[in-house]
Amino acid sequence: MKFSRKTLGIPYAVFLVLFVAAPLLVLFYYAFTNGQGQFTVQNLTDFFTDPNTLGTLFYSLLIAAATTALCLLLAYPAAYILATSRLKAKSVIIMIFVMPMWINFSLRITALKEILTVIEGNLAFYPFLNSVIGMTYDFLPFMILPIYNTIVRLDGSLIEAAKDLGANDRQAFFRVTLPLSVPGIVSGVSMVFLPAMTNYVVLDMLYNNTYIMGSLIGSYFSAYNWHGGSMIALVLLGIICLFTLLTGGMETEDARTGGALL
Amino acid sequence: MRKRRIFAALAAVLALFLTAFPSVQAKSVEEEPVVVLRVCNWEEYIDLGDWEEDEVIDLESGDIIGVNDMVTDFEEWYRETYGVTVRVEYSTFGTNEDLYNMLTLGDVYDLVCPSEYMIMKLMAEDLVQPLSEDFFDEEDEYNYYIQGVSPFIRGIFEGHDINGVTWDRCAAGYMWGITGFVYNPEEVSEEDASTWHLLENTDYYRQITIKDNVRDSYFAAVGALKSDLLTSEAFLNDPDYAEKLQDEMNDTSQETIDKAQEFLQGIKDNLYSFETDSGKADMITGKVVANYQWSGDAVYTMDQAEEDDYYLNFAVPVESTNIYFDGWVMLKDGIAGNAARQHAAEAFINFLSRPDNVIRNMYYIGYTSAISGGDDERILEYVDWCYGAEEDEEDTVEYDLSYFFTEEEDSEDYILTVPEEQLKRQLVAQYPSEELIRRASIMVYFDAEKNEAINRMWIRVRCFNINQVPLWAWIAIGAAVLAGAVAFIVKKVR
Repeated sequence: MKFSRKTLGIPYAVFLVLFVAAPLLVLFYYAFTNGQGQFTVQNLTDFFTDPNTLGTLFYSLLIAAATTALCLLLAYPAAYILATSRLKAKSVIIMIFVMPMWINFSLRITALKEILTVIEGNLAFYPFLNSVIGMTYDFLPFMILPIYNTIVRLDGSLIEAAKDLGANDRQAFFRVTLPLSVPGIVSGVSMVFLPAMTNYVVLDMLYNNTYIMGSLIGSYFSAYNWHGGSMIALVLLGIICLFTLLTGGMETEDARTGGALL
Repeated sequence: MRKRRIFAALAAVLALFLTAFPSVQAKSVEEEPVVVLRVCNWEEYIDLGDWEEDEVIDLESGDIIGVNDMVTDFEEWYRETYGVTVRVEYSTFGTNEDLYNMLTLGDVYDLVCPSEYMIMKLMAEDLVQPLSEDFFDEEDEYNYYIQGVSPFIRGIFEGHDINGVTWDRCAAGYMWGITGFVYNPEEVSEEDASTWHLLENTDYYRQITIKDNVRDSYFAAVGALKSDLLTSEAFLNDPDYAEKLQDEMNDTSQETIDKAQEFLQGIKDNLYSFETDSGKADMITGKVVANYQWSGDAVYTMDQAEEDDYYLNFAVPVESTNIYFDGWVMLKDGIAGNAARQHAAEAFINFLSRPDNVIRNMYYIGYTSAISGGDDERILEYVDWCYGAEEDEEDTVEYDLSYFFTEEEDSEDYILTVPEEQLKRQLVAQYPSEELIRRASIMVYFDAEKNEAINRMWIRVRCFNINQVPLWAWIAIGAAVLAGAVAFIVKKVR
């Protein structure tokens, strides 16, 4: 049997239909129907008129933005130093960054909880801060890897050229390295920002009592309200699409491979 | 039903896939099963066996130990007793709502074990297959359930009905309990812990957890809000006290819902957190000083703490406590008129109700069985084995459990001699005294409209309200967006 492009695509096509397209259709169906199965846009208008839903969206964005900023602040210098160093064992060090991901997620957060308790005393006083720390802890590798991959592949001669033309180290970094590593940053940001909006398990485990989008959807489902919950998920999906479209223009092949390495 | 059809189509595609790999299926079946029984129970709610040797429960009437898991033991017992091979497909659920959602999405089970309010809901929606007449035949030696069910539980099940059908016709009790506070007696006084007001007590600012569960939280809120009424002499001495208490605790008027919201929003800042799963561990590690618990979990928490020589107590609020039951019900969808399957399902309930199995389950999970054992005295013996005082022990008290074990008036066979401290510990959580039971109230299921209203209330309590965002924040966000847009345009123009 010959492997043509067509036959090789079949497994993924099946996967796509079963686990992406079909659930999406179900999601659409529930979002635009009411309990009696009739078409309605009530769920949509409910979303944008309910101060709690909007408040939750706001709070989720805030948590996600803070997490992304913190991740970027930690990841960029680390990735930069690593990528530009002369160390031979770079791949080993990058492995150390990724290693936490090999340990079970809830185990890691439980450990973090104990560490934070030692530092803070009573965790209940800093719910927002703890959530951001927890998310950062969880998502940091997703930020480091794409940035590292972009920087490590930069053409060194560009920086040499800049310096030949009279730029000092600082200028070379801000005018050459940083702009060229934007694709890595964009890729990292999109991999951290979006999950951070919905990963409510971190909030639950670190005692943040305020709902984010994920927990809000869950609470609709526990109340047997599939329709409202699906609409929230759908709106979230819309926001993600918008976000991807806005940043998509800047994304290049480098950034994608950076992501693919994960 | 259109929803069903979508899932049916998906299931069909999946089934096609699975049949493409027949070898996977064939391996797991050694012999052709005659009856397949699909059971769905709470997580960690049955003995899984594999006990250490030193865990043996050495009652005078004989040792009890869990070697195999309960389900395997049932399959063997059923084959030996009835000569029919049964294979149990055992699965678990996390919350009553999860179970209900699984059922509505088309999962089919023969036997499930939800809590009382979900049983009521399932009964009201006519999804439950009533138990057969044979199940109630006390002459049949294998009908352990009807021979052994506690008269107290039986009374409650016979005394409540849905559309004229009493609970006992459809549901068989499995475990039951009450709610209360596990607390650290060195930090919290017994008096403080014995009221729902503990939740708003600022002496314990950010040191108390409560379950992240709308029903339990609502119950606690109502208990605290109506504290004065519920503890008033007039109310306590009312001839219809039990009935009125249940009405008050199940008050779902909009006014009460609004007040509950205010109360819960108030305590949200006073509490350590609403916990989903961490309450037990946080209590043991000392992160919190009190935790609102189901009695079975409370027993587990106190047991675990004791292993580290750390003693925790249990207190039941003076206003009222929530008495809950988990019970086995058969589902019409699953049984589908299949007599052999129904027989196996009822036999499963009976097997779990056999006193030695009851003890194994209780030992393993820490909850209290609905079975008292009838003529079989092993369960009382087990309670004595767990909590009874040593012969030479001082400071002992008599503890009367007649209400649970017998229908006889003034029987003295069910009075245990226990260490006095047990009145605040595991014993009172696992087997509450009759006095505590008097102020226990069932929390019934709410109809769709009330359920919606209470869930809305809960979302309002838990969500950040957009109106709370201060004006300066909006201005800052606006400025940031504007700056970004300007920077973008300037860059493009260049």
